[in-house]
Amino acid sequence: MSLRVGTLLAAPVTAFLLALCVAPLLILFAYSFFRVDFVAISYDPSFANYAKIAGSATYRGLILKAFGSGALVVAITAVIGYPVAWFLAKRAGAMKSALLTLLLVPLYSGDLVRVFAWRVLLGAEGVINRSLIWAGVTDAPIQGLLFSPLATHIALTYNYLPFMVIGLWLAFESLDDAWLEAAADLGARSPSRFARVTLPLTFPGLVAGGLMVFVMVVGDYLTPQLLGGASGITVISAINDLFGTAFDWPLGSAIAWTMLAILMAFFAMGAMLIRRSSLVGGS
Amino acid sequence: MTEAGSGPTGGQGQTMPLLRARALCKTYGTVQAVRGVNFRLDENSYVTLLGPSGCGKTSILRMIGGFEEVSEGMLELDGKKINDVSASARPINTVFQSYALFPHLSVLENVGFGLRYKGLSRKEEREKARAALETVQMSAMADRRPRQLSGGQQQRVALARAIANEPRLLLLDEPLSALDRRMRKDMQIELKDLQRRLKMTFLHVTHDQEEAFALSDWIIVMRDGIIEQQGAPDTIYRRPETAYVADFIGGAACVPGKITDTAIGAYEIETPLGQFATPGVRGLKAGSPAVLCLRPEQLFLDPQGRISARVTHAVYRGAEWLVEAEAAGITLALTVGHDDVPEIGAEIRIGFDPAQVWIARTEAERRADRATEAKP
Repeated sequence: MSLRVGTLLAAPVTAFLLALCVAPLLILFAYSFFRVDFVAISYDPSFANYAKIAGSATYRGLILKAFGSGALVVAITAVIGYPVAWFLAKRAGAMKSALLTLLLVPLYSGDLVRVFAWRVLLGAEGVINRSLIWAGVTDAPIQGLLFSPLATHIALTYNYLPFMVIGLWLAFESLDDAWLEAAADLGARSPSRFARVTLPLTFPGLVAGGLMVFVMVVGDYLTPQLLGGASGITVISAINDLFGTAFDWPLGSAIAWTMLAILMAFFAMGAMLIRRSSLVGGS
Repeated sequence: MTEAGSGPTGGQGQTMPLLRARALCKTYGTVQAVRGVNFRLDENSYVTLLGPSGCGKTSILRMIGGFEEVSEGMLELDGKKINDVSASARPINTVFQSYALFPHLSVLENVGFGLRYKGLSRKEEREKARAALETVQMSAMADRRPRQLSGGQQQRVALARAIANEPRLLLLDEPLSALDRRMRKDMQIELKDLQRRLKMTFLHVTHDQEEAFALSDWIIVMRDGIIEQQGAPDTIYRRPETAYVADFIGGAACVPGKITDTAIGAYEIETPLGQFATPGVRGLKAGSPAVLCLRPEQLFLDPQGRISARVTHAVYRGAEWLVEAEAAGITLALTVGHDDVPEIGAEIRIGFDPAQVWIARTEAERRADRATEAKP
């Protein structure tokens, strides 16, 4: 009886999600097998689009670049986020909520605002270059700062660091200090304690935070576009072009689905890693 | 506190102690948790730090384990100062109150955790871990995760993990407090048995005096960061030095009085209940205040008894009744057999054997002694 009521209550939400989220994706999936015939779409299913992606060095390169960027930013945010999360969970004390709020404040401002703030900092006439020239470190502004992969990755790291910190912070909150004392008691010195206790026990947080950052970096369109200059072309902007000016919906859909499939594979791997790490399973 | 009271006659030897605490202090901010304690732990002994919560016993244990810095004083292991030796470098292992088993490792991996630092092969590590599990009869659980074990089983694994490293000294921080009464009794017997078999020194922290008596060769009674008394269990029980120990250990009624005469083997004490000649702690002088300690099991109903009292409460305790009676404004408790329980409000006469009871120092006297001791 209660099961039926539950099903009934869940039905609208399920229908809503199916209609507005899953259905468009399925339509795109269907499109990815069609072809463009001059200006009309020819409904003649084939794997031609996927073959094209696999055969094109440009698309392969763009996809690889997106995932490479994702991995790089995950690595950087993990290295920065680890000590920050540790401090928040274990040392911040009464300051904890204030610091957590501070961490989230940048997220409240819009994407564009943050991007333009980085332009002000990194530009040829920007704060950093002006300061360096004033200090006599350099005579002419450093050109590589803005409109470069460096600028893109600095901004991406800045944008998505909070998500990594939140994931790790939660993991550190449930890390009992007694485990570290027990490890020390049994003879483990600091590096060994980190490798054998802290790291494995905060690993689920690292995976959760890492997946969030990864997905958002891979899907970020604005930041590379506005800060990357010539390097700003991404697989997302390519998809955008295919759906827009190039009017090749089928190829665009195929690239989108290739990305989605790879991301889902990463998610499955992450879920498996978390499940294996004891903190969730086997109670 | 000098160590005069813990000489060889008390059960601690003249040989080099395993561990020695000298004027040990622990201060947290402005709070003095441990205020200058001295004690020694002998090889192959079972010692208990006994006291109510907040008496500093856990701070002492944590300083010995290396988890807290020593604020003042000295810790010596085998005659060498270990104040600045890190926890990982001390040949001391701990059974934590929460057990602190690693949730991401199997039982066997937990027990083998510390063996990684002993320079053994992986095979030897596993064998040693298995042997330690065997010691606590947990071999069947080797592949489980800690979360899949009951509290008692986790306790055994924590014990196996601590003894697998073959420490010089094993610290136990209220290890039985999370177990139910029945299991606690069983584990007490096993702990004592384990200590005898391993010939290791165990230092056990507890607030349960029954537990302390069941396990210990030596009991250190603590209160407010100082040692109230230390000695063999029998000494602590039969010859409490202070009213506090007499009350905390055996629930003795402490009747205030004044020493009127000191003779060999006994004092004369004048109390509201009358004048008695009984033995007591050394060093009391004629005219000084003292307390007469009367335990429930030392008092009995006796028509010729010298104390006249009125019954106020009677509590059934299974094996016997605990009767409370008031005499001259003092509440006395005595155990009474099932057939002899007096009615509440009845006038009774109570007797005791003066040779069996004991005179201890008053708390005020004790504190005055400490003040003079503290000055160099």
